Amino acid sequence: MLVIRPIRNKDLDALYGMAEEAGVGVTSLPANRDLLARRIAQAEDAIEQRVAPEHARYFFAMEDLDTGRCAGVCGIDARVGLDDVWYNYRVSTMVNASSELGIHVQTPTLFLTNDMTNCSELCSLYLAEPYRQGGNGLFLSRCRSLFLADFQEFFSDKIFAEMRGYSDEEGRSPFWEALGRRFFSMEFQDADYLTGLGNKSFIAELMPKYPIYLPLLPKAAREVIGKVHDNTRPALHMLEEEGFNFNGLVDIFDGGPVLEAFVRNIRAVRESFNRHALVSRQEVETPLTADNTVLVSNGSFRDFRVIRLPASCVRADTISIPAKAAQALQISSGDVVRIVALKDKHVANVPKRRFS
Amino acid sequence: MWIVRPARHEDLAGIEQLVVGQGPSVSTTLPQSRDKLSERIDQSLRSLADDPSLKQGERFLFVLEDVETGRVHGTAGIDVHAGLGQPFYNYRCDELIHSSHELGVSNRVEVLYPTHELTGRSLLCSFAIDRALRGQPAFELLSRARLLFMAQHRERFTDELIVEIQGVQDEDGQSPFWDSLGRHFFNMDFATADYYSAIKSKTFIAELMPPHPIYVTLLSDAARQAIGRPYEAAAQTLQLLQREGFSAGRHIDIFDGGPVLECRLNDLYSVKNHRLKTVKRGDASRGLAYMIANGENEDFRCGLANVSDGIGDVIRLHNDVADVLRVNDNDDVAMIAL
Repeated sequence: MLVIRPIRNKDLDALYGMAEEAGVGVTSLPANRDLLARRIAQAEDAIEQRVAPEHARYFFAMEDLDTGRCAGVCGIDARVGLDDVWYNYRVSTMVNASSELGIHVQTPTLFLTNDMTNCSELCSLYLAEPYRQGGNGLFLSRCRSLFLADFQEFFSDKIFAEMRGYSDEEGRSPFWEALGRRFFSMEFQDADYLTGLGNKSFIAELMPKYPIYLPLLPKAAREVIGKVHDNTRPALHMLEEEGFNFNGLVDIFDGGPVLEAFVRNIRAVRESFNRHALVSRQEVETPLTADNTVLVSNGSFRDFRVIRLPASCVRADTISIPAKAAQALQISSGDVVRIVALKDKHVANVPKRRFS
Repeated sequence: MWIVRPARHEDLAGIEQLVVGQGPSVSTTLPQSRDKLSERIDQSLRSLADDPSLKQGERFLFVLEDVETGRVHGTAGIDVHAGLGQPFYNYRCDELIHSSHELGVSNRVEVLYPTHELTGRSLLCSFAIDRALRGQPAFELLSRARLLFMAQHRERFTDELIVEIQGVQDEDGQSPFWDSLGRHFFNMDFATADYYSAIKSKTFIAELMPPHPIYVTLLSDAARQAIGRPYEAAAQTLQLLQREGFSAGRHIDIFDGGPVLECRLNDLYSVKNHRLKTVKRGDASRGLAYMIANGENEDFRCGLANVSDGIGDVIRLHNDVADVLRVNDNDDVAMIAL
C-alpha cells in the first residue's frame, strides 16, 4: 500500500536518488545533497508550523508501506517570490495598425514579469520509475488538493504549476538556444541548476529586461513557447483535467507554460467532501483502477496522510475503511476524513491542447 | 557653368525625372510623387520668403542647374528643424553591461533605443544627382553650396547639424536591416515602406515601429553588419561630408540602419574657411576653381568659377559669372576653394 505523508529526514537518500534520476529540466529537484537536506528541513519547519504560513514550503513523500521506501515526492510552496524574485515571461500581443496603410500586424511579444509573486505553487512532483503505473502519478499529484481543501487559508487564492518546457532528444532547448544563451553565456543545464539552488540573482543581472519581439527569434524557438517536454505531457493533462489553464506566462529559460487555477475551482478541491470513518475488519477486494478510486485524507495538518480506496467504500454518511488503511491514515472509527474521486468522470476526454 | 539655386516650380519635371531614377532609400531622397514634389518646392519658396505660417516646417530645396541648357541635374535640401515640428526618429546604439559578480560573468549587450533626441536639429537632406556627374566638380558644388547658404544665413539654422547617410542595400534594393527588423511590423518590403515614408512623412511610418528597445544580438548577421554602415553608392557623399567635419555619432536610421552624421555648424570646413569679398566686375577668368555664393534668399546663387583670389577684400568676377550669380559691383559674395 502507498501512503502520502510529510517528508522526513530519513527520506534524504531516496530523494537524492530520484533527483539524480530526474536530471536536467526538473528545476525544482536539483541533484545536490545539501540543498535537498535543506528542502526537507524547510518542509519539517513548515509542517511543524515553525515558520509563518506564507514562508511554508510543504513537501510530501509517497511511501511504499510494504518496503518502507520513498517512492515519490510532491510539494506545495505557500508563496513564491517573497524572499527572492520570481520571473516569468508573459506572452503578450502588440498590435501595429494603420488603416491608411492597410496594416494590421499582431506581434507576439515577451515581457519579463514578476506576475506570479505571492502566489502558491505546486512543485517538485517526481515519481520513481518503478512506480509509474496504476494511477500512482495521479495519486501523487492530486493528494495535494485534499491538503489545499482543508487548509485553504494558508495558501493564496490562485495556485500555479510550471511545466517543463520542450527540449529535443539531446536535451537542447530551442528557446534557450535562441534567447537565454545569448545573454547568459552558459549552458542551459548550468542556468537551470543555479535556479534550482535558489540562486536567482544572476537572472536579474544577466537577463534582458526589455520586451522581446517574437518575430526576431527563429521559428524553432517561437514554436516551442508554451509547449511542454514530451515527458511532461501526462502531467499537463492531469492538471488540465483538474481545471488548470495556461495563463499566458512561460518559463524564462525553456519557454514551458505556467498553468494556474483558483484553489476553490480545482476539481478535487471543489468536489471533495467529508465522511465519518467506519473502520472495518474486512479486507478490500475490489482491485483499484483509476476510475473507481477515491483519495482519502485524514484532514490532519501535522500528520497529513492520504491513501486510496475503492469508491465502493463510500456510503451515504460514512466511509468504510479497512483496518490496515485506517492505521496508515492514523484514524479510528468516528474520525472525519476528506474524500474525493481520483478522476472526474465527466471529463474522460479533455481535448488536446496546442500553443503556437 | 554650374550653379546651385533654390528650386522653382518650373523645375518640377526635371526633379521628377531625377528622383525616379534614384531607386529606394528612405529619408535621403525626395518623394516619387509629382504632387509631393510640388509641395516640397512650394515649402522651399515659402521658407525663403520667411512665411510665418511654416513655424518649424521650414525646408529649403536647391537644384543644380547647367546654366547653358537650363536643365536641372541634381537636388540638395536642408530641413531647418529635423522632423519639421514632429518627432524625428532614430535608433541610438548603446551598450548595457550585464554582469554577475557571483558568476564572474560580464557581458556587453548592444541595444538599439528608439529615440527622437535629434528632433529639431538642422538636417541636410534630399541629395540627388545625375549619375553622370558623380565625382565631378558639380557633385561637390551641389553638396557644399548648402553650407555656404547656411554660413550666410547663420541665424536660420541650429548650432548642431545632422545628415542621414543611406544604409546598406543589396542589388535588388532590399535592406538587410529592414528585413530583420522593420519588415516584421509592417508586412511590407523596404521599397514599399520607403514609398509610404515619402508620401506620408517619415514620422508617420516611424511611429508604427515598435516602441521598445531592440537587442542587437537577436537580429540577423546581415542586419547586425548593416548597423551604422553606409551604402556603397553613398560613399562619395560620405567622404565629402567627412571632409567638411561631419562624423558618425551613435544614431542610425530606423529603417535601413544607415549612419547619422553630426557636426556643429561653426565647425564645418566651409563655414570656418569661407571668405566674404566685395565684387568687382570685369573680364578676368583665370585662376583656381572656387565656389562663389551671393547672400540672397530667393535669389541665392552659388556657382563654380575660376577666379584668382588676392589678399584684399575685393574679388574680380567675369561679367558673365557676375550675371549668373546676379551680383553687381560692391555686392558681397562668400567664396571658398573647391
